[in-house]
Amino acid sequence: MRDFAVPKTDTRILGKVQLEYAFKLTAHYDPPQESHTPRGTFRYQDIVSGELSGERVTATVYPDSGGQYDTIREDRVRDVDAHFMLKTDSGEWIYMEHVGYRRSDGYYRAIAYIETDLKGKYEWMNNTSFVVTAKESADQREVVFHYYIAN
Amino acid sequence: MTSRRTFLSGATTVGAVALSGLQLSEAASGDAAAPGSNDEALPAQWFEGPDPSIPKLGLRWAFSARVFFADRVMINTMDSPAGRGYTSVGGGDIWGPRLQGRVLPHSGADYYKTTFNTYYMLQAADGALIFIHNRGTMRRFASHYEPGKPLLPPPAPPASQDGVWTRFRATSYFTAPIGPHDWMNRTVFVANSQRQSNPDHTVFNYYEVL
Repeated sequence: MRDFAVPKTDTRILGKVQLEYAFKLTAHYDPPQESHTPRGTFRYQDIVSGELSGERVTATVYPDSGGQYDTIREDRVRDVDAHFMLKTDSGEWIYMEHVGYRRSDGYYRAIAYIETDLKGKYEWMNNTSFVVTAKESADQREVVFHYYIAN
Repeated sequence: MTSRRTFLSGATTVGAVALSGLQLSEAASGDAAAPGSNDEALPAQWFEGPDPSIPKLGLRWAFSARVFFADRVMINTMDSPAGRGYTSVGGGDIWGPRLQGRVLPHSGADYYKTTFNTYYMLQAADGALIFIHNRGTMRRFASHYEPGKPLLPPPAPPASQDGVWTRFRATSYFTAPIGPHDWMNRTVFVANSQRQSNPDHTVFNYYEVL
């Protein structure tokens, strides 16, 4: 027995999260390299190039600026941990981090955290959680990410 | 939506309600409130991009947690790069269609920099211990934010934050034991977070990303 009571009905959600579409990134990777580690199978994949486009921003992935440092777990789910840099068409730098899960049933979702110049044109990306849906090509060398702002 | 001023005055009401029992209130926010209970799953809400080739993304309310705080400590100040806050978790409760239970008392804290960064434990009604790591993002706007519109920066500091609209989001990563709560290990979550006073607590509404 637990010493707490679970509240019953009549509670209300105090607000909603709405998603707003932001942009798409098509990323190209080298083939993944896997190694066995005490934490599971480590899967490194270098990001070679990529194009980001949306209504409010156009950018390209800075070649070899990072990639994916994922872990394939015992249950076959892949913990996604991606880091790389982009440069916008106006020359501003963007840092992108992704944390999420890629499952064998096709579910590939992540949260992206983005940092860019606080005084720049893309300041709106800072301090925002982006919800990401991704799809990998069969050879896993191309991944298309779609980003929604969690408003 | 509400300004921070009305938000806070609403929150005081909620605090009083929270003290008197286990009812959360409608008064807390001007946001469209949806009913939610342990027995009633809410339908998923789907969002789409400007063109139909863009995959839709769905959110579905999974559960909510009310987290009560104990100590509030600050190392340095928040305007310093070395600023670090510590807000310990006293306890709390969890309800909703996919998880019920409690926040394990004194199991951790929010060790925040500019926004929260929490590490503590949940305990499901079946006794399972679930580790929660929340990362947060927070933005303040000079006026109510409307999707697609350019953002207006907040008034210059140290002006009072009254009247500034705040978007607080938590993104949460769970480590749950193998068993009925296993799905939490492979699901992406986003939550909204509403700080309440009197008593000092925050309500998180967790949505699973479909």
